[in-house]
Amino acid sequence: MTADLELHHRVSQFLFHEARLLDEQRWEEWNALFAEGGEYWAPATPGQPDPVNHVSLIYENDLLRKVRIARFKSPAAPSLHPFPRTAHLVSNVMIGRSEGNDLSVNSRFLMVEYRRDNQRSFAGAYTHDLIDEGDSFLIRRKKADLINCEGPLESSSVWF
Amino acid sequence: MTTLIDNRPATMDVASLVEPDRVHRSVYTDPRVFDLEMERIWHRTWIYVGHESQVKEPGQYYATSIGKQPVLLTRHADGNFYVLYNRCAHKGALLVGDRCGKLKELRCCYHGWRFDFDGKLLGIPLEQGYDDTRFNRDGEEANMSRAARAESYRGFVFASLSPDAPDLKTWLGGVASSIDNMVDRAPDGELEVTGGVLRYEHDCNWKFFVENLNDMMHPMVAHQSSSLTARVVAKKELPAEAPVPSAIEIIAPFTESYSFFDDMGVHAFDHGHGYSGGKTSIHAKYSEVPEYNKRMEAAYGKERVEEIFSVNRHNTIFYPSATIKGAIQTMRVVRPVAVDKTIIESWTFRLKGAPEELLQRSILYCNLINSSANLVGPDDQESYRRQQLGLETQANDWVTMHRDFGKDEEIAPGHYYGRGSSDISFRNQYRAWKKYMSEGAC
Repeated sequence: MTADLELHHRVSQFLFHEARLLDEQRWEEWNALFAEGGEYWAPATPGQPDPVNHVSLIYENDLLRKVRIARFKSPAAPSLHPFPRTAHLVSNVMIGRSEGNDLSVNSRFLMVEYRRDNQRSFAGAYTHDLIDEGDSFLIRRKKADLINCEGPLESSSVWF
Repeated sequence: MTTLIDNRPATMDVASLVEPDRVHRSVYTDPRVFDLEMERIWHRTWIYVGHESQVKEPGQYYATSIGKQPVLLTRHADGNFYVLYNRCAHKGALLVGDRCGKLKELRCCYHGWRFDFDGKLLGIPLEQGYDDTRFNRDGEEANMSRAARAESYRGFVFASLSPDAPDLKTWLGGVASSIDNMVDRAPDGELEVTGGVLRYEHDCNWKFFVENLNDMMHPMVAHQSSSLTARVVAKKELPAEAPVPSAIEIIAPFTESYSFFDDMGVHAFDHGHGYSGGKTSIHAKYSEVPEYNKRMEAAYGKERVEEIFSVNRHNTIFYPSATIKGAIQTMRVVRPVAVDKTIIESWTFRLKGAPEELLQRSILYCNLINSSANLVGPDDQESYRRQQLGLETQANDWVTMHRDFGKDEEIAPGHYYGRGSSDISFRNQYRAWKKYMSEGAC
């Protein structure tokens, strides 16, 4: 029981830390949380089985995340002027399957975003596939299932 | 959303809003113009409804809209498809609430009137209650109403709410060949919609999106932060000898030079239709898939395959509602909602008989370019939004379409050509717009 509590605490702290890096726009530090080959995935259909044979809102590997980060710093991106600000709230954290150092964590999120006189919100479920590295975790895959993923959705530029 | 504040008379002279080389800002901002467009363009000409592969089996339906009219594409047991107004003949409720599905019959949720997939009334609870009334159970008013016209061109279903439209093939004219080329790229000669749909809400007038498709002066400016950045990051991150990832092959050409886009060229036809590219496009340099080429040659022979692949178009516009990219098998469909609100649907197609890598590339393309959360589209969307806001200014009522005015080249009867950076596509669309909007023209 104590071990479970400790793991749950460590996992929760990791998810909160990850969300905080997004909100504080510390993009390189955020991207460094991913394992080699790690993926970010926001499906476009509830229950979507895979990101390869079906369109997604975002499906990115390390290279594409780095392109997005470099774009954030570009003076030539009209949709990022003004730049959006976000608050990611992560809750209902539950550890699902775990095997050796691999574990899958389910949570709920609410991302509130403000840009140019307009505040809006995105909500849904996160699934984090993590590798337990002892002192921290690495992300194999972060999946953000929006409750309204099939849209219609307006433009968004930052990660859910 | 604002109403035009000026001294225009209550009955608008819409034809005066378009001149051969410029267009009045109110075509984008005035809700009255939008309402007229629904009536005179969207409820009158051929509008894309869906693809036949979305309703393969009897009982399948797909719910969408033609302008402001909710409609259903259905498949009947007789093997035919039908385009029906999504309205119960009884009290008017939508007959289906989901976007797609398969049913035994169309049964109204309210009083249980039942209809077949061609719209014919099947049954009414306590039917004898209508005896000796003016309601004729066997008359047309007891059935669901059908769109006045519905035709398929090689699987692409268009419908018109007006009986006066010319037949679909005639109306498609010079852009039918873009559908041909997309279908011909399938070894089995058939396409299938698959891979889901992206529904991207644009907070702007529908025409900004349609105009942008063959606007070849914008990519190198608006997409610098994604395309140019992708080139730089890929160069830095990947070893020099590594193969170029598909994602980079897709994003990088958006910042090709002005001369590259000029050479693609723009073709314009009647009814506002047109395409850019032809011999080459931003899709021309994707890596080959040897197994696909093999299957194509087995199906068509080497010579014919070369002919098919020699056509490489960028965007084809079936004005006003549909746009395809035949070379990458994707389609974007325009669903106007209000003067400053539009939904753009993005679809992908499987080339039947081709390896799945082709479909996966189409899907990757849509993720990267057409999704609401992608690296490219939000910069287009932001530009349209700023146009929507900027055109509220009263300081200058006119939007220019002067570039290369007077230089359009008629290369065949009704087939005009301009270099990529020409405003020919805008002028052509507004020529059709003016004709549609002047009452009586179709």
